[in-house]
Amino acid sequence: MTERRTTEDLIRQLAASPAPAPFHPVAAVGGMLAQLALGLGLFLLVFGLRTDLVVAWAHVPVQAKTILPVLLSLVAIRLALRSSVPGGRVALWPLTLPVALAGLLLVHRLVVADGSLLAEAIGQTALACLVSITLLALLPLAAGIFFLRRTAPTQPVLTGALLGLAAGSGVAAGYALHCTEDSPLFFVLWYGLGIGAVGGIGAALGHRFLRW
Amino acid sequence: MTAVLTFSPRRDCAAPPGSSSLLRSGVEGRLQQDRDWETLLARANDGDGAAFACFLRAVTPSLRTVIRRRGDGLPPDQHEDVLQEVLLAIHLKRQTWQRNAPVRPWLYALARYKVVDAFRRRGAVVTLPIEDFADVLPEENAAVPLSGRDAEAMLGLIDGRSAMLVRAVALDGKSAEEAGKAVGLSAGAARVALHRAMRRLSDFAERTMK
Repeated sequence: MTERRTTEDLIRQLAASPAPAPFHPVAAVGGMLAQLALGLGLFLLVFGLRTDLVVAWAHVPVQAKTILPVLLSLVAIRLALRSSVPGGRVALWPLTLPVALAGLLLVHRLVVADGSLLAEAIGQTALACLVSITLLALLPLAAGIFFLRRTAPTQPVLTGALLGLAAGSGVAAGYALHCTEDSPLFFVLWYGLGIGAVGGIGAALGHRFLRW
Repeated sequence: MTAVLTFSPRRDCAAPPGSSSLLRSGVEGRLQQDRDWETLLARANDGDGAAFACFLRAVTPSLRTVIRRRGDGLPPDQHEDVLQEVLLAIHLKRQTWQRNAPVRPWLYALARYKVVDAFRRRGAVVTLPIEDFADVLPEENAAVPLSGRDAEAMLGLIDGRSAMLVRAVALDGKSAEEAGKAVGLSAGAARVALHRAMRRLSDFAERTMK
């Protein structure tokens, strides 16, 4: 008997408390973008754009190095937001689109390749690439987690991972404007690893901070 | 269970205009109910507290069903706690519902998450009423949480009868039977009361040590 009354009490108490502030997806994405721009801006200010950017942009792999991560980032952030609402349907297959395009570039390069594939894949700046992408993505990822704490993701690990993918690929797209390694063997491998690492960090943060 | 049946909360919840509670059956009734819920929740999110109370009362029976179906392994008295956790979650996360979206999938997904979460957290603890073990409980005169001069201060934290029991058994070395008789309890009831008191004291001791 007492249980029924306490539930009714709780309902009264909840009804009397003010409605929580609404969640604005635009603010969340804006916050992430601001952190992304801040980090990338500082990075490019210090290390500079690649000097031959205008000339190099004529080549498909150079374009792909920026455009594919942008595409992945857009898909990932959209899915992250959708997965943050209970009952929302989250279809993950659009993520495979940029990945498949990257795979095509990779296969094409393997077919026409000359010289040592291994040397080409390892390149000169793999470590710098990996570290830069991971570090620069931490701020926008943290911002995304912070904003999405207000939402109600029923799969917090997935939502966190998607936020990580969005942040990591967003950073990779900007980093590509600095990086002079234009072989798909290099950037699909190392950008992919960097983005994946940030996705993993996002999953861990989601598990820790997005549960409610 | 009778509590659930006699619970008629909708007295002060007038149905929104255009709905008839008499027609609440079949697909049509369900659609109408969905529309009612959506109207209520939309008004609630605009700051209408009364509408929110009506919404919570309206969805409570459905939530009880979900919880009962999932909660086989838990004693029914905890179902109400889980229900309250779900209601609280609905309040905290109600702004994630989008007005043009159907409310039922949102509500059920939220409830499922919260119910699974609540049961998972309770799953680690097997809850059995302690009265069943009245005869096999040890007498607990080892007095772990009570040491030296803190004892009287600690005993001040619990109610008088429990304090007397603990004093008699743990400090004066009497048996549970004797101590129980002094305060008008049977031996079994005394052991139960003693066990609870010792656990409370342990909790206090642990908390003050941190």
